[in-house]
Amino acid sequence: MSEQEAQELLLELKEKAELMVDLAYSSVIYNNKEIAKEVYELEDYVDNLNEELQKLAIKDAKAGELEVNEAIAIIQLGACSEAIADAARDIADVELRDVELHPIIRESILESDEVLIKVEVSPNSVLKDKKLGDVKLASHTGMWVIAIKRGKKWIYGADRNTIIKAGDILFVRGPREGVEHFIALARGEEKEI
Amino acid sequence: MKVPRWKKAEFEEIEYQPTSIRELLKEMKNICELIVDLAYSAILFNSQEIAEEVRYLEVRMDKLNYQIRIMAMLAARNIEDAEKMAGILQIAQAAEKISNAAGDIVKILSYKLTHPILPRLIKESDEIIRKMTVSHESKAIGKKIGELRISSETGVRILAIRRGSKWIYGPKGEVELKEGDILICVGPEEGMEELNKLLKGEVEVLE
Repeated sequence: MSEQEAQELLLELKEKAELMVDLAYSSVIYNNKEIAKEVYELEDYVDNLNEELQKLAIKDAKAGELEVNEAIAIIQLGACSEAIADAARDIADVELRDVELHPIIRESILESDEVLIKVEVSPNSVLKDKKLGDVKLASHTGMWVIAIKRGKKWIYGADRNTIIKAGDILFVRGPREGVEHFIALARGEEKEI
Repeated sequence: MKVPRWKKAEFEEIEYQPTSIRELLKEMKNICELIVDLAYSAILFNSQEIAEEVRYLEVRMDKLNYQIRIMAMLAARNIEDAEKMAGILQIAQAAEKISNAAGDIVKILSYKLTHPILPRLIKESDEIIRKMTVSHESKAIGKKIGELRISSETGVRILAIRRGSKWIYGPKGEVELKEGDILICVGPEEGMEELNKLLKGEVEVLE
């Protein structure tokens, strides 16, 4: 049924938009233009997704598979995610400009409740060669991996099947209390997840 | 009729309060983290009360953004300052845009949908939203959220607590849990199960 298709699109939109906000703040904290550029690319992707969603919702409403109100709600939710994605792009845009960032920006982000950190995976870390889904980082440490830099390659929006390698630089979001433990895990100083 | 908190806030006069840009930006980012999840919770649980809080936070965000603009203008002494301030204002503006989007999400509550569109959406997401109650047998009673290490042990963030007819939104680490508290949480499914066991009294501590 196509209602399911619309839901899947909406979910993808929501998750991508939220990932973009995390990435955008990370790009600003770490002065990282590569991440900022990825936010720009994701913005295009989100725009397309949103267009697809709108068409689908209207098509479904026309075919009588969705009620008009439901179609409007779906379109509105899509538009909200799109607006959030736009906001993320605006943040990334600040990083991409040739103006040195005011230190206050970085400080205020680092002092907020949810923090973003960057840490390299050491060869003797328990996380090495494990699938993200298997180590259940999010439910055991509260930390979500939002991007991985592996050599020259970047992995954005890692999922359960992403394998962590030694030397990976992980960009992670989570609560302040979870940071220390997570860094110790990545550095191999702490073995218990 | 009682005037909702967000309306009161909207018509309050804004006074210039000397505070730091850093504090303003920090509060704006904190609101950003909370408001979108709260908005989805409002839809999911069909809750006007949560929606009201979203509207309140939206108004609060407008004010912070206004304040930050004034502060930035006062702080710029030359072109370089002004250029750097422009970046700050752009980030503040983005935070406001996010809170406006959250405000638009709760408008869906008035659509009178015959069957809800969100539950499935949120169930299949990496981070799910759930409502849980603190049972009288739970060892969490009387303990502070920070002390229980909820977010670092389970990955679950508490968005709001309903205590009797009162609500606590975006509770900080020093808030103590009480028997009968209803928690609205967002996080990974597995962590949610873990927390639920603690709240039901099936486990004594989170590990």
